Amino acid sequence: MLENYFPILIFIALGLILGGIMVGIGLLLGKLMGHARSDAEKQSPYECGFDAFEDARMKFDVRYYLVAILFIIFDLEIAFLFPWAVALGDIGMAGFTAMMIFLGVLVVGFIYEWRKGALEWE
Amino acid sequence: MIELLHSLLDATLMPLVPESMHRITYLTFETVFKITLILTPLLLAVAYITFAERKIIGYIQCRIGPNRVGPRGWLQPIADALKLIFKEIIIPTGANRNLFIIAPVLSLAPSLAAWAVIPFNDHLVLADINAGLLYILALTSLSVYGIIIAGWASNSKYAFLGAMRSAAQIVAYEIAMGFALVGVLIASGSLNMGEIVAAQEGWLVHWFWLPLLPLCVIYFISGVAETNRAPFDVAEGESEIVAGFHVDYSGMAFSVFFMAEYANMIMIAALTSILFFGGWLSPFPEMIPILGEPGLFWLLVKISFFLFLFLWFRATFPRYRYDQIMRLGWKIFIPITIVWLIVAAVFVLIGLPPWFD
Amino acid sequence: MESDRVIVVPRCLLRIINKKMFELIVFYIFAALLLTSAVMVITMRNPVHAALSLILAFFSSAAIWLLLEAEFLAIVLVLVYVGAVMVLFLFVIMMLDINLAKIREGFIRFLPVGFLVALVMVIVMGSIVGSGIIEPLLEERVYYGPGFSNTQHLGQTLYTDYLYPFEIAGAILLVAIIAAISLTMRARRDTKAQDPNRQVAVKRSDRVRLVSMKTEDR
Repeated sequence: MLENYFPILIFIALGLILGGIMVGIGLLLGKLMGHARSDAEKQSPYECGFDAFEDARMKFDVRYYLVAILFIIFDLEIAFLFPWAVALGDIGMAGFTAMMIFLGVLVVGFIYEWRKGALEWE
Repeated sequence: MIELLHSLLDATLMPLVPESMHRITYLTFETVFKITLILTPLLLAVAYITFAERKIIGYIQCRIGPNRVGPRGWLQPIADALKLIFKEIIIPTGANRNLFIIAPVLSLAPSLAAWAVIPFNDHLVLADINAGLLYILALTSLSVYGIIIAGWASNSKYAFLGAMRSAAQIVAYEIAMGFALVGVLIASGSLNMGEIVAAQEGWLVHWFWLPLLPLCVIYFISGVAETNRAPFDVAEGESEIVAGFHVDYSGMAFSVFFMAEYANMIMIAALTSILFFGGWLSPFPEMIPILGEPGLFWLLVKISFFLFLFLWFRATFPRYRYDQIMRLGWKIFIPITIVWLIVAAVFVLIGLPPWFD
Repeated sequence: MESDRVIVVPRCLLRIINKKMFELIVFYIFAALLLTSAVMVITMRNPVHAALSLILAFFSSAAIWLLLEAEFLAIVLVLVYVGAVMVLFLFVIMMLDINLAKIREGFIRFLPVGFLVALVMVIVMGSIVGSGIIEPLLEERVYYGPGFSNTQHLGQTLYTDYLYPFEIAGAILLVAIIAAISLTMRARRDTKAQDPNRQVAVKRSDRVRLVSMKTEDR
């Protein structure tokens, strides 16, 4: 089984290396070929014609955290569904009922979210 | 080809390698060679999709598109690449230097590495792992990091807003995507990509798109949203936040993001063809000579078709508003996928012909 | 013939040793990576760097699980922890303005507590390893062939033999949903959002009021 994962290890490493090389070449050639005269205007982050008033990293609506938390919960649900889907042929009706109860409980949670307005964006 | 590689290795590197490491050295170089065989066409395709995109959208809008560089504009991507290579990469003053440079690499690597498990025909696959589909889902969930880190590292409001929007959006559509994949799993009973195609054996009507039609549509639309393509491109919506998370990137650092986006597009097209449209299988019944033969050709045709859809969408639909995107993801797609999962499970349990008998 | 056999047998053996050797090398690489990144999580000055080190730590532990042939768990570790939990961490770290100096202060102040927790962990783990329940498991360990799908085997037992823990997991997830919503949901008063339903359902009488009044004098 592990032999099959060996190419994946190499592929991930190669992907990182390839990206690194490309950005590296960009940095290097930009330095070598261009005459990089930098000034405060050029190095400043993009803004609409004025200096940024404050640090760009600002406080955000708590809604984003809520979305992330709900995402984790649903991701876990998907993780539970994967082995079930693969084994459905073997576990038959019993497995099907087990998952329906599980899904039912989570659908209750989903309806709660919906009714509470956690899914609204305005 | 492999023999040639072996003899080349024997002549050069092998004498330097201790005997006990020979096998692993051979294996490493073979794998690197095969990966090159996958990546070269992929990167070429990425380059030429940018060209195809400009041409096709051009014709849709009654323009010609790029036609100056080379015959009929065919050398345009090469010219673009050359230009981007020589451009200076500007790192803004307030930026976090290391993260700023790492971000594009982190966004490219997963979009390439996902190709390791894609089968090109019934024996042509680099890593024939049992958990292929799970691996794909895990890798697609990593693509969000490049965006978040880029947005944060740039220290620009536009980049940060773009990153946060796109993170929340990707997250919402990933759930729908995951549920759609579970539907495919129920239908095929395997996580292995090759076996999923094998489970669709037959012609057009035997493929999973028919019994899993809602999941298929949702998967592809979620794929469009995941790759931040129009009409879901609020992460880089030009008219609102300029270019979103990569507004401060230039030169190669920008083009790596660009390549990651297009590689992801090809990935989604390939996955849709494999999971729902029978991969390398022919759409015609086997009785028909030549056209009925399965092969790599059919996979490429299907991938091209879905890529064309990506471009077509971009030329046709106006951009969704952000709250509409979130509503579509959470309130429409997720309920439909959950319901259809149960329907698919019932199909499998009763052995609905001709797919699940 | 005799000499042939002498060559063939050691080679086969060598291959097996090589495979194990290679596994061992990979294990040590990832173990070292795991430890370094775990140390980096608590020593990094920038919280975002610390979170990224934590991601690297998850990756290395996934690789180690993979070496134990637990492919489902390994990939799910990446999917859930790296793909979801760490996204939340990054959200929180990036969007709260965290005062770096304060964090450093806390590092020294909470160090004794950290040591205490670490000590408890070491004792717990030591008691498990020392109790001798692991050795027999190690001896029983079976190496499966390439065709073995451990996701499928997990599915065959999880939803039948371990039905109750599975349903309890579902209930815990429900509690998590409700808790997350009740803790973070705030109805916003200042939004100017339109409700398309109400816009469409509007009637003339809601908007226009006909008033009969006397004509005013010039």
